[in-house]
Amino acid sequence: MTKKQSNFAENFAELENLTQWFETEEVDVEEGIKKFERGLELASLCKARLAEVENKVTELKKKYQQLIEE
Amino acid sequence: MASHARTVLSWSSMEPRILTVSQYIEVLNETLGMIPTELIVVGEVSQFSMSQQKWINFTLKDQDADAKIPCFMTVYQMKMPLEDGMKIQVRGRPNIYEKFGKFSFSISEYELVGEGALLKAYLMLKKKLEDEGLFDVSRKRQLPRFPERIGLITSEGAAAYGDFLRVLGNRFGGIEILHANVAVQGSTAVQDITQAFAQFESLPPQEKPQVLVLTRGGGSLEDLHAFNDEDVVRAIFRSSIPVIVGVGHERDESLCDFVADVRASTPSNAAERVTPDRREIHRELEMHLERMYHRVQMGVEAKNRSAEHAVLVLRQFIDRHVHMTNMAIGQFLGVSERFLSSVNQKKVETQKHARYLALQMSLRTRTIMDRLSSRTHLLESFRVERVLQRGFSLVRMKNKIIRAGDALAPGDRIAIQFAHGDVSADVVHGAQEKLL
Repeated sequence: MTKKQSNFAENFAELENLTQWFETEEVDVEEGIKKFERGLELASLCKARLAEVENKVTELKKKYQQLIEE
Repeated sequence: MASHARTVLSWSSMEPRILTVSQYIEVLNETLGMIPTELIVVGEVSQFSMSQQKWINFTLKDQDADAKIPCFMTVYQMKMPLEDGMKIQVRGRPNIYEKFGKFSFSISEYELVGEGALLKAYLMLKKKLEDEGLFDVSRKRQLPRFPERIGLITSEGAAAYGDFLRVLGNRFGGIEILHANVAVQGSTAVQDITQAFAQFESLPPQEKPQVLVLTRGGGSLEDLHAFNDEDVVRAIFRSSIPVIVGVGHERDESLCDFVADVRASTPSNAAERVTPDRREIHRELEMHLERMYHRVQMGVEAKNRSAEHAVLVLRQFIDRHVHMTNMAIGQFLGVSERFLSSVNQKKVETQKHARYLALQMSLRTRTIMDRLSSRTHLLESFRVERVLQRGFSLVRMKNKIIRAGDALAPGDRIAIQFAHGDVSADVVHGAQEKLL
């Protein structure tokens, strides 16, 4: 869960960095195409995550409840 | 002592009995102690004072009637600020202080009554916390843009809970929400909420939410008391996890709002502030791709252009060199032609000169030959034999031709050559002699 979660923020940040690279660098076509392909990959990962509709709610048990159950 | 009092209280006969002052005060206090502590007294605070930063004294009085109770408590019991004119309700124990023989009401707990008092207390606490720096903008932390774990502190039964989850679901999915079900009003609210903060704080790092959301619907100042409670405000202040607070309606404010890292106007707004909208992110993703694609395309076009440019430059280079070579060849041919024609011209001239010279030579030769021939004839005529034949003779002495007679002396032998035959003779007389 944590891994999946961190991935969205990481993937999105990587995508932003890629775009940044394109804005600041004199684009070398070969390098640019490589980065663009990576961008497509990241965007599709992000989109897959955006397609998730459910949020999972877990109850945080009160401390005394935890003690009773233990 | 206690038995003393009980004895006295159980004493029912009308027999007189003698007690000391302290014994009597003890009886009074025992009697007062029988008043149930559930009784709540409502009154207005006046003559509020604090001594040694520890003891608090004030008078509780009825607003209209002239009735007063002196009250006493410690600062540790003062959960809400008090000042003169506030209406409060108190619970506690009546007591006569032996030393001064003075009645006082020892307060165990109190609550502010009425919007006026609550507002006053609210403003006083707000100022105090503000002065302490709890609301400083500089300490506000930024929320993560894409939180994956959110801690939600609210009541499951409250509309805020449903509103928050519904709006959150509309905006983003796949988020894990850790819900602490707390009372958001009533007597346990403050304890519930502060405990929830402590619990989130104690979670192991990998389970800790990245952001905490404290929320509830709107209400009166009394309803919102937990959100204006000093302990709750400090719990938010202490939280190592950034906190977003969304209380009530747009116009409502609470002290929790001020101390929060992010203040949302409503529970729904809290959901909006805590996560981005997936449609927006979708657009952003598309925009990133578009920008990248555009740049790649520009790069390809630039490369094509530079290739075309290189071809053009190369062609121009070749053309220029071909042109230059042609020109050089042309120039060379021109020069050669001129050279050849000048050679030819020279040749013709030379031939002309040669012919002229040849002519001149032959003329000159003929002249010379003519002259030579005449000279030859002349010379021929001068030949010795020819002269001798004409009758002359040649005298020699010792093979030397004698040209004058005085060269000879008598006795000299001479040879005389004639045209035909030679003779030798001796000189008889010298020339001088003959003359004489």
